[in-house]
Amino acid sequence: AGGGRLLERIRKWYYNAAGFNKLGLMRDDTLHEDDDVKEALKRLPEHLYNARVFRIKRALDLSLKHQILPKDQWVKYEEDHPYLEPYLKEVIRERREREAWNKK
Amino acid sequence: KRFYSLKVAPKVSPSATAEKVKLSPASQNLEITKLPNGLVIASLENFSPASRIGVFIKTGSRYETTSNLGTTHLLRLASNLTTKGASSFRITRGIEAVGGSLSVHATREKMAYSVVCLRDYVDTVMEYLLNVTTAPEFRPWEVADLQPQLKVDKAIAFQNPQVGVLENLHAAAYKNALANPLYCPDYRVGKITSEQLHHFVQNNFTSSRMALVGIGIKHSTLKQVAEQFLNIRSGAGAPGAKAVYRGGEIRKQSSDSLVHAAVVAEGAVIGSKEADAFSVLQYVLGAGPLVKRGSKVTCKLTQGVAKATSKPFDVSAFNVNYSDSGLFGIYTISQAPDAGEVIKAALNQVKAVAQGGVTDADVTVAKNQLKANYLMSVETSKGLLNEIGSEALVSGTHTSPSAAAQKIDSVTTADVVNAAKKFISGKKSMAATGDLGNTPFLDEL
Repeated sequence: AGGGRLLERIRKWYYNAAGFNKLGLMRDDTLHEDDDVKEALKRLPEHLYNARVFRIKRALDLSLKHQILPKDQWVKYEEDHPYLEPYLKEVIRERREREAWNKK
Repeated sequence: KRFYSLKVAPKVSPSATAEKVKLSPASQNLEITKLPNGLVIASLENFSPASRIGVFIKTGSRYETTSNLGTTHLLRLASNLTTKGASSFRITRGIEAVGGSLSVHATREKMAYSVVCLRDYVDTVMEYLLNVTTAPEFRPWEVADLQPQLKVDKAIAFQNPQVGVLENLHAAAYKNALANPLYCPDYRVGKITSEQLHHFVQNNFTSSRMALVGIGIKHSTLKQVAEQFLNIRSGAGAPGAKAVYRGGEIRKQSSDSLVHAAVVAEGAVIGSKEADAFSVLQYVLGAGPLVKRGSKVTCKLTQGVAKATSKPFDVSAFNVNYSDSGLFGIYTISQAPDAGEVIKAALNQVKAVAQGGVTDADVTVAKNQLKANYLMSVETSKGLLNEIGSEALVSGTHTSPSAAAQKIDSVTTADVVNAAKKFISGKKSMAATGDLGNTPFLDEL
């Protein structure tokens, strides 16, 4: 996350250009669900999991109707929390530990 | 998940704890220190190739309240969950890799986490042991995955009808504290949360209620470890309630053709002179077979009951001691139609002793049996660790075998008769399981 203000502005531009915030999604909602992500999802506390399911449902509904949210409801770059990241990091750390032990 | 084991241990010998078993000419004496924060450290360096280290904590099912029943059961099973220093996987594999083992043993009043391993690897397993006892994380998903294990554990334990009878006996005899079951009640399985486990550990696993005991390890090593790592939670923690004896009965009708019944009255407290008298009385009456698969013909209880029935039966004296109460009485196993006669005959035998029907020779025989049983139990390093740890928790000291034997010898025949009188006159509690058609109620005895 280093780099200073220029890098920050490029990140913000890319985030808005990617467009998933217009459907009301956060970055962690869009992660491809491989085994690690599935395990991390199992560990999410209930309120975070419910919020995620709601956001995904709402986004599916919008894409079905070929619409996007009004501009004031788009997810802002500053408000996007990587809620799944700590759990995902832990899952990956545990998997690597297991593999290291099994290789020995 | 082979790293947890649990035992229900009704204590036979409450007061004496022995050490100083010189296993080799070079082995040292037991050293015991008490740190200012209340932690007791005891170690015996006997230069054996395997070391056994245990953390004993003065907590157990008696410290639960009705809102968190079953927490200690889950805690017993949770000894291999992730801690701050090591993940669950690493604890399991790490201990396996050095050929050690971690186990948990819990009674109503104490919990003991112990590891055993070869001397060379003591540092590794000690690290895991300390992690497990001082810094468990109880991650919510791990705790949730563990709850079905409660059911399995319970099913395995209750295959033995005695476990059920003893649980019911304590529930009938006490109003609180000691009435709490050792095994999680069914309605609580699946509902114990990670917060409750944390809360319990925070309030109960405090330094002043712990003892760190090692066999086959230097005292200075243990002391260093204790000062560095076991200093985290100080204070006395949440106090337990004083156990209140009430004397009731619980009967569980089942289709079992063998009736298990226990009739007890309030007994003696750990470490009191009365406790020694009750222990001797237990052996006068008969406390388990002396010859393997033998028929206990020399026990008073067996002789008395044999006159009442010719069908197979088993009877022995039952004795447990806790820190503020105890239970003493008889435990009978009989065929369902005979149950009434068997129980009455056994009680009559105790009455005979209370009326003075016991000779000095009987008492001497019983004392020898008690001494032998006790000394044999501390011959193994496991029994020894348990004894040192339990006494360290209760009094912070330890008694040598000769002192323990002297205590037993100082019990007189009059003491034994008084103990029997206390049982006969005390308010009784009863628990029975099986086909109870012919089993008398307490007021019919």
